[in-house]
Amino acid sequence: MTNPLIVLRDVSKTFSGAAGPFQALSGVSLEIDRGEFAVIVGQSGSGKSTLLALLAGIERPTSGEVFVGGTAVHSLTERQMSSWRGKAVGIVFQFFQLLPTLTAAENVMLPMDFARTAPPRERRARALGLMDRFGVADQADKLPSTLSGGQQQRVAVARALANEPAVLLADEPTGNLDSRTADAMLELLAGLARDGQTVVMVTHEHGARRYASRIVTLADGRVVPTEELAHA
Amino acid sequence: MPSPRWLKVGRDLWLHKSRTGLVVSAICIGIVGAGSVLNAWSLLRRATRLEFDASNPASAIIRTDSVDAALLARVRAMPAIAHAEAQRSVTASVRVSDGWRTAYLTARDDFAANTIGVVKPDHGSWPPRDGEVVVEHSSVEFTGVAVEDSLELQIGDAPSVTVRVGGVVRDVGLAPGWMEHVVYMFVAPAMLARLGAPSSMSELRIVVRDRSLSRAEVQGVASEVRAVVEASGRRVTDVSVRVPGRHIHAGQIDSLLYTQGAFALLALLLSGVLVVNLVSAMLTGQVREIGVMKAMGARDGQIAVMYLGLAMMLGLVACVISLPLARVLGRAYAEFTASILNFDVSGYAIPWWSYALQLAAGALMLVVAAAVPIARGCRISVSDALRDFGISGSGDHSAGGLLSRASGLSRPVLLSLRNAFRQRQRMALTLGTLSIGGAVYLGALNLRGAVVASVDLLFAANRFDMVLRLAEPHDADSIASAVRALPGVANVEAWTGARASVSTPDGPLGNSFPITAPPAATTLLVPNIDRGRWVKPGANELVTNRRLLEEEPSLDVGRVVTLVIGGRTSQWTVVGAAETGPSAQAYASREALAAATGEPGATSAIIALDVQGTASRLEAVRRIRDDLQESGFDVASSLSIAQQREVVEDHLLMVAGFLGNMSLLMIVVGGLGLASTMSLAVLERTREIGVMRAIGARHSTILGMVQIEGLVIAVLSWAIAIPLSLPMSIALGIAFGRVMLKVPVHLLPNAAGVLQWFAVVVVLSLVACLWPALRATRITTAAALAYE
Repeated sequence: MTNPLIVLRDVSKTFSGAAGPFQALSGVSLEIDRGEFAVIVGQSGSGKSTLLALLAGIERPTSGEVFVGGTAVHSLTERQMSSWRGKAVGIVFQFFQLLPTLTAAENVMLPMDFARTAPPRERRARALGLMDRFGVADQADKLPSTLSGGQQQRVAVARALANEPAVLLADEPTGNLDSRTADAMLELLAGLARDGQTVVMVTHEHGARRYASRIVTLADGRVVPTEELAHA
Repeated sequence: MPSPRWLKVGRDLWLHKSRTGLVVSAICIGIVGAGSVLNAWSLLRRATRLEFDASNPASAIIRTDSVDAALLARVRAMPAIAHAEAQRSVTASVRVSDGWRTAYLTARDDFAANTIGVVKPDHGSWPPRDGEVVVEHSSVEFTGVAVEDSLELQIGDAPSVTVRVGGVVRDVGLAPGWMEHVVYMFVAPAMLARLGAPSSMSELRIVVRDRSLSRAEVQGVASEVRAVVEASGRRVTDVSVRVPGRHIHAGQIDSLLYTQGAFALLALLLSGVLVVNLVSAMLTGQVREIGVMKAMGARDGQIAVMYLGLAMMLGLVACVISLPLARVLGRAYAEFTASILNFDVSGYAIPWWSYALQLAAGALMLVVAAAVPIARGCRISVSDALRDFGISGSGDHSAGGLLSRASGLSRPVLLSLRNAFRQRQRMALTLGTLSIGGAVYLGALNLRGAVVASVDLLFAANRFDMVLRLAEPHDADSIASAVRALPGVANVEAWTGARASVSTPDGPLGNSFPITAPPAATTLLVPNIDRGRWVKPGANELVTNRRLLEEEPSLDVGRVVTLVIGGRTSQWTVVGAAETGPSAQAYASREALAAATGEPGATSAIIALDVQGTASRLEAVRRIRDDLQESGFDVASSLSIAQQREVVEDHLLMVAGFLGNMSLLMIVVGGLGLASTMSLAVLERTREIGVMRAIGARHSTILGMVQIEGLVIAVLSWAIAIPLSLPMSIALGIAFGRVMLKVPVHLLPNAAGVLQWFAVVVVLSLVACLWPALRATRITTAAALAYE
């Protein structure tokens, strides 16, 4: 691989808790290219979500380096991190995490508002464009509580892509969906990857493997040698 | 269209209506409390200054034998004098609906051309015509007198005359009649003659040309006028100079308003504490959303601006509600206070800056109060914010741990006790609010007790029931023997009195003050001597009281002073100081005063009665007056000590009552604090309550748990308030001493007050926790377990 988008070098992460220190990741090195649909799998407690949090700049490594799009994420200040995150990564959560008092469209507009990536007058049109792409434009003016789980997750993906980030990070995006909706969501993410969007997804979903261009397996905080798969 | 983040702010407010309502209520209470005092103060300040200035008050009053046109012309010609007018004031008796009352009649040489101490016609006719009186506004309500009424007036033992009430006027220079228990009336000079009093004028009232002069400089001008009067062959009995531009009660009202303002600020501060509690809880509920927004790229500053904006919005909403309320209350309070000062504020507007200050305080108070919790909330990391938490294990359990060792308590009760200590900071703030409220409540009760005790103490010095003032001086022994022979008299002494002024070699005369002179060996007056001792027989010795010492510091114990009494000069030594009430007063022996004035007779009969009951006493007084009249002693007026005590108590308890009212405001703030704390506790423990219901907790158990938790906080605050009331009592005692009268500070709260406050906090807690408790019982298991 040349010029990878994501680079992790010998990354370790230790949490300290009431029961003593807990090592979530230990000496992880990993590279992910642009346009890849990388799926991170592993059992509970294997360090999958921690790895994703490091990529999103939500957590900082205890040791090692994290580069995303050439930015040394591990060395950013909190203030720089927020600005970088708003523009460089989009995050999709398991429980959707749409803000309940904003409509679907307003949820999608919110990242543009924070990052000031589009002129205010163009934000709604751009949000509607994204929602249309994921088939939820007709739900634009509804509150999240009135949408189905699948619709909420599609709105969440639209929100994650609002600022055209280099990487889309998804943490168990199908964990709260029924199997049919989950398949549709995986298909949607795979489609994004096919269009050149780099997607890194953490999942328990066994069926997700067939959509992935790459599978990274974690066990006890370490990367287990993985198989290469053909592009879907 | 507003940006999504501001839409979120607005909709969050609407979504959490009850919490929003609590925050707004908390700010409203603070602003209404502080705002109404500020409005009242600013309105009073403006109205009293303008009204008092407009009345053109006298700079000085010179009392002499008589004032005629020639003397007036000479004084008016003096370069330092802008205006000079003549007046006579006479004490009389007037029969009103509830019997005879003291009246104070004022006649002026020319009411129509009156320019000094101008009175404002209220209704009816003005100026007074012969055969009628015009009553001062503050004397109308308590006497029930109305225009067109006929009244019986009497001066001394001269025949009474029936007069018509022609009109009502307002004189802003007078202390209110209802408070002084005096009926102020204006009459034509001819009317005085018909009542048997001299119709010539006896007071020369002057206004100096230069209004910027200090009191000492005005005293200098008054001395020059005095010299002119004396050069005309007249005797000057008294020169009185007030602080220029200051109303007679202005200092007391200022102190009162400042003290109340301090409490209003305390209420504002406590409501600010309540706001901190509520905003912290509000942010706790928003932590996850803050995490999501940060994950989307929101910076700390952006989030802080959102929540500070939310705080300001709430502050402005609170202002919209509370400003009109503060305006109404402030005006009502100003009108009430103005009635004490005998001013009318109805024609004046509250100044704009008062509203501006309230608006700024309302909008910014929440921002300031919310700044720390917001900063803390915004600093939370994305991972912490997004971490799922089920049943919170946060909080301090040490106190709860101690409580868990208490035996004999059921599990739900133990759980309530522990829950009370889970949110240490919130509990401390709520405890603080309630405890301070309790301390003010107990302090105000203490102050009331201290005021009553000090009035008891003041009047304990007076071992007599009535004072009969004679029209002419008589031999002291003759008076005493005449009165002693009358039925109903237990003891009698003949006293005299005079007005004196301190004289300094080069300076002007000081303001005159009264000297009361009983026999040195008096048994009817036993004053409470603070320093020094009582006077010795025959020696030129004085005992002063505290108020006089404040006005004339040269009369301190141990000083030798020169006094001018009735135009004669004599040397006196101040041998003692006593606390004898809110009016300036000095005491000398009758023998010494007689020698100084050259007047050996006594002017008053001081009588202790041996009859009980108000009606019997009144009858005894009437009989004694009649009998003395028959024996050749003209009685000018009579004064009952019970009536005098009523006047003093009216003055003092009103101020104590004002301070006590502030504790009510604290109780409301405290109750609201407890209600909000318990609402938040229920909200945060929704899932926990669901779990308890899932394992069989009944409605009554949940209800009881919330109520017991509230009671724990309330009872703790009660216990803290007891020691806290000690410094509060001292502070209130000092404040009261500055305003009115030095009172003996009660350091220990009285048992009844403590029990009363206990009952108040228990009821307050039950009421404040009722809504949160009912809300807790409405939480279904399914909804609670789904709650995040």
